[in-house]
Amino acid sequence: MKLANGRGRIVGSIAAVALGFGFAAVLAARADAPPTPVHASAIQIEQIQSEDVKLPAEFQMSMYEHVVEEIGKTKRFAHVYRDGDRDAASAPDLVTLHCTVTGFKQGSAMERQVTTVAGATSITVHLEFTDKNGQKLFQNDVKGNVRFFGENLRATYNFSKQVAGVVRQDFAAVTPAKK
Amino acid sequence: MFKLNPRVCLSLLALSATLTTCASFTQAQEKQITTFKVVHVIGLEAIQHNTKGRVTVSKDALTFSTGPTKSDLAISGIQDVLTGADSQRMIHGSLGTLTMFAPYGSGRFLSLFRQKLDTLTIEYRDPNGGLHGAIFTLPQGEAALLKDQLVAAGAKATVVPAEEAGQPTGKKEAK
Repeated sequence: MKLANGRGRIVGSIAAVALGFGFAAVLAARADAPPTPVHASAIQIEQIQSEDVKLPAEFQMSMYEHVVEEIGKTKRFAHVYRDGDRDAASAPDLVTLHCTVTGFKQGSAMERQVTTVAGATSITVHLEFTDKNGQKLFQNDVKGNVRFFGENLRATYNFSKQVAGVVRQDFAAVTPAKK
Repeated sequence: MFKLNPRVCLSLLALSATLTTCASFTQAQEKQITTFKVVHVIGLEAIQHNTKGRVTVSKDALTFSTGPTKSDLAISGIQDVLTGADSQRMIHGSLGTLTMFAPYGSGRFLSLFRQKLDTLTIEYRDPNGGLHGAIFTLPQGEAALLKDQLVAAGAKATVVPAEEAGQPTGKKEAK
């Protein structure tokens, strides 16, 4: 009986520590998020930078294309402009998204398919949202992984889904124009 | 003084003629590919992801066609063309997914049989200046040929085909 009580306490304390770490992680991740959703009618997505990390060109472009697509699907902005788009200059409340790759590990699709547990591909990207004057609104770190199934480029799709999640959370939905 | 034997001369001439013909025939064979069978992974306007099709390079555009649908990409808008390498399961697609559930780990065993692929990434700007990236996969060895044709037509490339031969594929030079 005593032993059972002791084990219960141990399990309880492990659970409490795990919960504590979980909360801390969530708070750390959200530390730089805006207190209220940001209102903006347009966003411009800059080319993904990977100066310190060697990223294959197909990953870089695939990430960019997926991010443009997924942010468009969030319905948070009336216009989603690409890097270099001249029309972006006319948007009054333009927000710019800067993405910098901070980590990349190219796994192997064959290893994943054969072993299930090995060969994961992961990409870590630092996101920074700025306003039209270049003032930082907030920043976030996002990770894209392929752990079990799928080709390596799927990590770029998973990454873009995470970016879309950040946008959904931190930007207010665009209100349709009154007729 | 060394005197040339007419027979030796004739045979040397015949040999050199044969070698020249062989070389030009090989070059002609290489140049014969004008339509490339590709899979469009992502990036072309109005074309779905992972669509099989054909790519042709003309004087001023790269054309991707799949059935009646066509998508043109102006050569003048191309900023960079990069090649890379990848691989996929011999049995892929829906059937490939089904084989993953085959008994006694045979699906995993089948994953060992792989087909090498080339990837071709094209970075281009639309008429408004917006950045796009189109990615294609091609049979092994064809990405370099397609890149050559694009560069010959006037597309820009940070890594020229001659330099690329000596470099590991798929790695972009740090700007």
